[in-house]
Amino acid sequence: MRNSRIKACYALLGVLLLVLILLNILIGSSSMTMGDALKILFSHDTVSKYGKIVWDIRMPRILAAALLGGALSVSGFLLQTFFANPIAGPYILGISSGAKLVVACVMIFALSHGMMVHSLVMIIAAFAGSLAVTGVILLISGKVRSMAVLIVCGVMVGYICSAVTEFLVTFADDSNIVNLHNWSMGSFSAVSWDNISVIALVVLIAVIVSFLLSKPMNAFQMGEQYAVSVGVDIRSFRIGLITLSSILSATVTAFAGPISFVGIAVPHIIRSITDTSKPVVMIPQCFLGGSVFCLFCDLLARSLFAPTEMSISSMTAVFGAPVVIAMLIGRKKR
Amino acid sequence: MRSVIRAERLDSGYGHKVIVAGAELLVQPGEIVTLIGPNGAGKSTVLKTIAGQLEPIAGTIYIGDAERSAYSLTDIAKKQAVMLTERKPAEKMTCEEVVSLGRYPYTGRLGILSENDKKIVRDTMELVHVTELADRNYDHISDGQRQRVLLARAICQEPEIMILDEPTSYLDIRHKLEFLDLLRSLTQEKEIGVIMSMHELELAHLIADKVICVSADGKVVKTGSPEEVFTDELISSLYSLGDGRLREVYSGFVKSIEKNG
Repeated sequence: MRNSRIKACYALLGVLLLVLILLNILIGSSSMTMGDALKILFSHDTVSKYGKIVWDIRMPRILAAALLGGALSVSGFLLQTFFANPIAGPYILGISSGAKLVVACVMIFALSHGMMVHSLVMIIAAFAGSLAVTGVILLISGKVRSMAVLIVCGVMVGYICSAVTEFLVTFADDSNIVNLHNWSMGSFSAVSWDNISVIALVVLIAVIVSFLLSKPMNAFQMGEQYAVSVGVDIRSFRIGLITLSSILSATVTAFAGPISFVGIAVPHIIRSITDTSKPVVMIPQCFLGGSVFCLFCDLLARSLFAPTEMSISSMTAVFGAPVVIAMLIGRKKR
Repeated sequence: MRSVIRAERLDSGYGHKVIVAGAELLVQPGEIVTLIGPNGAGKSTVLKTIAGQLEPIAGTIYIGDAERSAYSLTDIAKKQAVMLTERKPAEKMTCEEVVSLGRYPYTGRLGILSENDKKIVRDTMELVHVTELADRNYDHISDGQRQRVLLARAICQEPEIMILDEPTSYLDIRHKLEFLDLLRSLTQEKEIGVIMSMHELELAHLIADKVICVSADGKVVKTGSPEEVFTDELISSLYSLGDGRLREVYSGFVKSIEKNG
């Protein structure tokens, strides 16, 4: 019964993923027919007008949304496992904002010195920011027992980081601001093919390593003492979990800015469909679910009020926040 | 004397703060050893230290003939199972999944159960009478059922030692007895040595082969058979009870039952 639900969920996500990829190729400021699109995809036509649009603009953006959306959702699931709290996520705990702050610093510094910033440097900067905030959250979690208080503290830390970022952006050179402003609002538009290869490498490795940690994660879900009693090396397991979730959310922030609610909403939706929280099932499905969710939101963000584009984060908030609210109400009832 | 677990001059506590000092204990195969003592005496601390949740501050723990530190984490997990008081909502976990986690030390990289593992899980659930709970959500069952599921989980781990922290505290009298009867028969049959803490003196008297008394100031003041330990003098001083209070409670209760019976 549960197995069939898991299979159905895989099938659903697979179909949605394909449909959304196709829609994202077709829809935009210059629409094309299905025939055009298929021809361009299979002939690797990169020179015609449509060919350029598909391969230079839409494809990298689709891949960015799919990879980064998946990364965000898995990162959320890892944090939820770590804190044993379904409301934990990289955005709400302020981790994304911490990453944003450090990346903004690096970008302002580099731009004012006329340097280009390599993708990996961006990831490392974001990772440093993520880890710093995660460290603060861990310190707080050692002091407060209540998970609700911890979440509120995370939100506050996030506000502080955002405020400092705003401050820096305000005083940066004029020419930098446009660039920074777009990114700090959240968008998949600025991702290049070069970025994609770095993103794919980092995200896929981190997700695969997370998947290999499914077994201790499963034991950890029963509580730390149980995990220890069945032979989990709890210290290295905790460090591994935090590092992986930080790498994943850092990669997202480095290239697309902070994106809200995906990390909480997607794992919750997946759990509700599959009726399990087993990491072996959750990690691949969260990845696919995050891809689908972000492709859907990005499609709306750029097509709903075209030619004006909305930030991806406002779209994910519109669709993600209600899911989170529904989840909180549902939990209270029980 | 063959022991499954043994501790020598064990100081246990948190950080450098010793809570129970110089404990000596020994559990033989198939034997049930019970820790009693007032709240805050450090019974849980001792159990956590034996279970490897806390580092011993001083002293040595032996599993079988070898020191605990000589084993790998997985090897220890194959010899020792726990039921501690930690209670964490395991979201969307079925009882069968919880029991299956007992096979953790035996499964491969991704924790996939072999046919043999599955059979052991099924058989254990049958033994502990939780087969009908298999597909129920672990969060939605009663306390009595939960303790049986956790017992199944521990048995599934095929341990030589089981460490239980107040396993009967939240159960009513019927479920307390059911649980202890089950524990007694299973551990005797499988020759598992049990060490557990308990607050119910009358039940400790019923079930234990050996009783260890931990006093409020963190010392093992007496180890012996239930007959040796459960005396008015010893128990009254262990729990700092006023004159005659112990008799008042237990004799009064027995009289009342016998009068109407």
